[in-house]
Amino acid sequence: MSMRLFVIWLVLSALALPAIAQDGDDHDPWMPFNRAMFTFNDKLDIYVLEPVGRGWNYLMPKRVQTSLVNFFDNLHGPRVALNNLLQGKPRDSASDVGRFLVNSTVGVVGFFDPASGWGMPSHDEDFGQTLGVWGVPSGPYLVWPFLGPSNPRDSGALVVDYITSVYWLYAPYTATIPMTTVSTVNARAQALETVRQLKEASVDYYAAIRNGYLQRRRALVEDRRNFSEEQSEELYKLEDDKE
Amino acid sequence: MITAMRATRCGLNVFLIACVAWTAMAAKHVLAEEGPRDVVGKTADTVVGILADKALNADQKRGKIEDIARQYFDFTTLSRLVLARHWKELNDEQQNQFVNEFRRHLSLTYGKNVEKYDNEKAVITGDREEKDGDWTVNTKILRPSGEPFLVDYRLRKRDGRWMVIDVVIEGVSLVANFRSQFQEIVSRDGPVKLIQILRDKNDKGEPLKS
Repeated sequence: MSMRLFVIWLVLSALALPAIAQDGDDHDPWMPFNRAMFTFNDKLDIYVLEPVGRGWNYLMPKRVQTSLVNFFDNLHGPRVALNNLLQGKPRDSASDVGRFLVNSTVGVVGFFDPASGWGMPSHDEDFGQTLGVWGVPSGPYLVWPFLGPSNPRDSGALVVDYITSVYWLYAPYTATIPMTTVSTVNARAQALETVRQLKEASVDYYAAIRNGYLQRRRALVEDRRNFSEEQSEELYKLEDDKE
Repeated sequence: MITAMRATRCGLNVFLIACVAWTAMAAKHVLAEEGPRDVVGKTADTVVGILADKALNADQKRGKIEDIARQYFDFTTLSRLVLARHWKELNDEQQNQFVNEFRRHLSLTYGKNVEKYDNEKAVITGDREEKDGDWTVNTKILRPSGEPFLVDYRLRKRDGRWMVIDVVIEGVSLVANFRSQFQEIVSRDGPVKLIQILRDKNDKGEPLKS
């Protein structure tokens, strides 16, 4: 089965699943597979990505790293604008278009970010979130080798994200791999401290990442920072007070 | 007619004075009681002050911040929420041990951040009362390097004082995250084993006293 067919199959099977109850226990029916992939990714990180990121951090001044973050963030501008529009947020979408135009020109093809200071902040939107807003259930937690935490809905949506980013406008198809590599290494270099701390602060690293991903993803889809009433009750009601 | 008007005016004046006095009393009452917003604001200011104090070394900073955390974080409620239904499987002494080890784990791992302070500032952006009487205070952490991020504090009143029972960073709740982490260990090996795991981890991570 080709990769694309596999992804389509996953999305379809996710659609067939009933919406998952949002309770305290993180739904993870594919845990054996996920844990194996997670371990693989962690080893890859420990032996390859983290050392490379450390080297990168040593060689590249902070300003260069920040500029690269800005540059790659700007390439996602059209995708962010489109998804805000699809999610029924025309004002945010317009701000994203303005941001993309300003940062691509005044910001020298995106290496600088004057738009944030001019009231056009960076938004985090992708097609997976749009599907979530449209009511498509995410399906179970799923860890991909190399790509990391995801779910069937968001995995399928990556195809749309790829098309709607402007990598392919800037550069030939063959440039995708070197650009993705630089973007990944640079992002890893930025997160050296955070990841180290996260590992140290967790008692079960796999569960910490899974829960963090699920909570963060839910917050992004719902575009809000507070919990629903049921989530709130599940989380903050003491056992003694429950009947 | 004039008398009537005067009487009304007089009545109005009395009413106004009563209103002002009541407002003043209410304000004084609130100040004395220290609302959830004040608790978060004061704590954030004090912590930033300690972190920025060049006269203190890392250990002194850690010690001071730990004292503040003990004062404003309700570690008992935090522990109960994190263990959820498994809390009752522990006896009183074990519950105390758990609270103690969990607090130690948090202060050891997050205490290391004192050396990483890079002029971050906390700004309160809003607050609201929750259905169950808890209070949520929204803050934004501004960093000289990089995008700001959002941190929400949930507070609950205990013995007349507002104390923090959860920290939610960019939508990720600390309570929910630890609950999920402890779930598997507790349902497989029981909560007593979890105390042991935490204790071992803490003993290994304890910074050497110089």
